[in-house]
Amino acid sequence: MTGPVAISEQGRGQSHALEIADVSKRFSVAGRRVQALSHIRLAVDDGEFVSIVGASGCGKSTLLRLVLGLDTDYDGDIRVDGHRVERPGLDRSIVFQEHRLLPWLNVEANVAAALRQSGLGAAERGELVRDHLHLVGLDQFAKAYPAQLSGGMAQRVAIARALVTKPRFLLLDEPLGALDALTRLRLQDELQRIVRHEGTTAVLVTHDVDEAVYLGDRIVIMHPHPGRIATILPVTDAVSRDRSDPNFIRLRDEVLSWLGVSRTGIDADAELARRSA
Amino acid sequence: MAAGLSATQTGPGDSTAGAAPVRRGNFPAAGILLLGLVVPLGLLTAWTVAALLGHLPEQILPPPWIVLDTLLDGIQDGSLLSSTMTSLERVAEGFAAGAAVGLVFGTAVGLSKTLREFVDPLFLALSQVPTLGWMPIVILIVGIDEGLKIIVIGWSAFIPVVLNTSQGVRDVPEAYVELGRVLSFSRWSKLTMIVLPSAVPSIFTGLREGLANGWQTLVAVELIASFEGLGYLMAYGRQLFQLELVLSAMIVVGLIGLVIHGLLTLAENRLQRWRPETSR
Ligand SMILES: Nc1ncnc2c1ncn2[C@@H]1O[C@H](COP(=O)(O)OP(=O)(O)OP(=O)(O)O)[C@@H](O)[C@H]1O
Ligand SMILES: [Mg+2]
Repeated sequence: MTGPVAISEQGRGQSHALEIADVSKRFSVAGRRVQALSHIRLAVDDGEFVSIVGASGCGKSTLLRLVLGLDTDYDGDIRVDGHRVERPGLDRSIVFQEHRLLPWLNVEANVAAALRQSGLGAAERGELVRDHLHLVGLDQFAKAYPAQLSGGMAQRVAIARALVTKPRFLLLDEPLGALDALTRLRLQDELQRIVRHEGTTAVLVTHDVDEAVYLGDRIVIMHPHPGRIATILPVTDAVSRDRSDPNFIRLRDEVLSWLGVSRTGIDADAELARRSA
Repeated sequence: MAAGLSATQTGPGDSTAGAAPVRRGNFPAAGILLLGLVVPLGLLTAWTVAALLGHLPEQILPPPWIVLDTLLDGIQDGSLLSSTMTSLERVAEGFAAGAAVGLVFGTAVGLSKTLREFVDPLFLALSQVPTLGWMPIVILIVGIDEGLKIIVIGWSAFIPVVLNTSQGVRDVPEAYVELGRVLSFSRWSKLTMIVLPSAVPSIFTGLREGLANGWQTLVAVELIASFEGLGYLMAYGRQLFQLELVLSAMIVVGLIGLVIHGLLTLAENRLQRWRPETSR
């Protein structure tokens, strides 16, 4: 089922930063068994940025939950530096699909909550929180409560909360879905900058194929029923940095066709011709 | 008066959120207050008119002005005031004890499934017995002194506080519990940052019920085993057919209840400043 690329990923002997080794996960929903994940194999190296795309319900969020260690009831192994993940830890942070801010804490306190177990002093924490609110453009809203924010603003707070601990692994579950196009482009660049700068290893789930190509070093394409990896496409540096580059568009269309969006190469070439005209 | 109330509503602690759009509604608060006065004023008018027309025998329902006289007399000679203080003190002590223990116990029961399985059946059975049903046994053990009143009032406040607190603690959304795990929260952080804030509405429901129970129990226990307090005043007034005394004690109990209820609501709103104004 899984593509040959996925299998050849598995380095023998040496351990990867993050290794998802033959992971399967079943749920029982209303007495019926649902195979949420089937034989997922994926190795991610330090500092790598992996995008995951796939239809709704193909197990993307489930996979991130397993990597976090929120659920350890699955077949296979998930290892960080060769050690099996047993529980959540501050080395892995996540932006959930929904913002999950604590409604009774204001914006500042929500971000600061992530630093509670950090062992840093109050002044240092305050500064980190301020920096990260500035990063997501919400300095003015430090004292506002989540109920007073728009969906996109709340999502940006959640991003600040995930980044503030400077985690080694950053898991992103459609973090930019609720944002307007302009903010999204800006935050994509910010994410890229931070991840590069901090050497963060990132796994990004997104429905936006452009985003997947733009940010990812590799693109994991998943298919549903059961949730599995259909293929993994590498993104060369030359391709990813310019959205209007013909290679960018070609790769994007390849991803789309893997997702079952009928887009033949002829269409892509037609569009290229149209764009360059 | 209406303006004053609505001013306190918009008052505390919101100045910092200046940048965020916040809706304010002064008018509804005033409106609700006025609406709340309609029925009491209507009844009072009916009562006055009926008394003026001589439709009400004084032994059954004395006219309002006599009740008012009794009230003012009681305040002036200090008898009503001292009864009120006595009763307030009993309720305060009993409620404080019952609610404090109830909060801790309710939280523990809500958090621990094992503990819940151990104590739930017994607790449910015990809580079905009306407080007055316990009195004979408690009197046998502790006598009829202040201890009796505190224990019985405390117990009656304890029950709803435990039930509501444990329910609120159990109802914490799974998503927030998960967040606590992701952020590697300690048990203490989980409790104070996630569980308790999320349970605040249930806890306050419990406190309100507990307080109402406390007052009811107070009156009952003073009727049986006391020589002072508002409940005693009622029993005494009834025996002497001084219904104006009964009525003035009832008015005081009612007013105090209203004030305490208002204070609880104020405290709850302060703790829940984060809620959008429209849903308060
Ligand atoms: N807690 C759960 N209990 C039962 N079934 C679950 C649970 N969580 C997920 N599933 C099932 O697992 C499958 C994958 O769900 P998941 O949320 O991972 O999909 P997804 O790829 O993130 O979808 P989307 O793009 O819509 O967010 C679905 O069929 C879902 O019904
Ligand atoms: Mg999902």
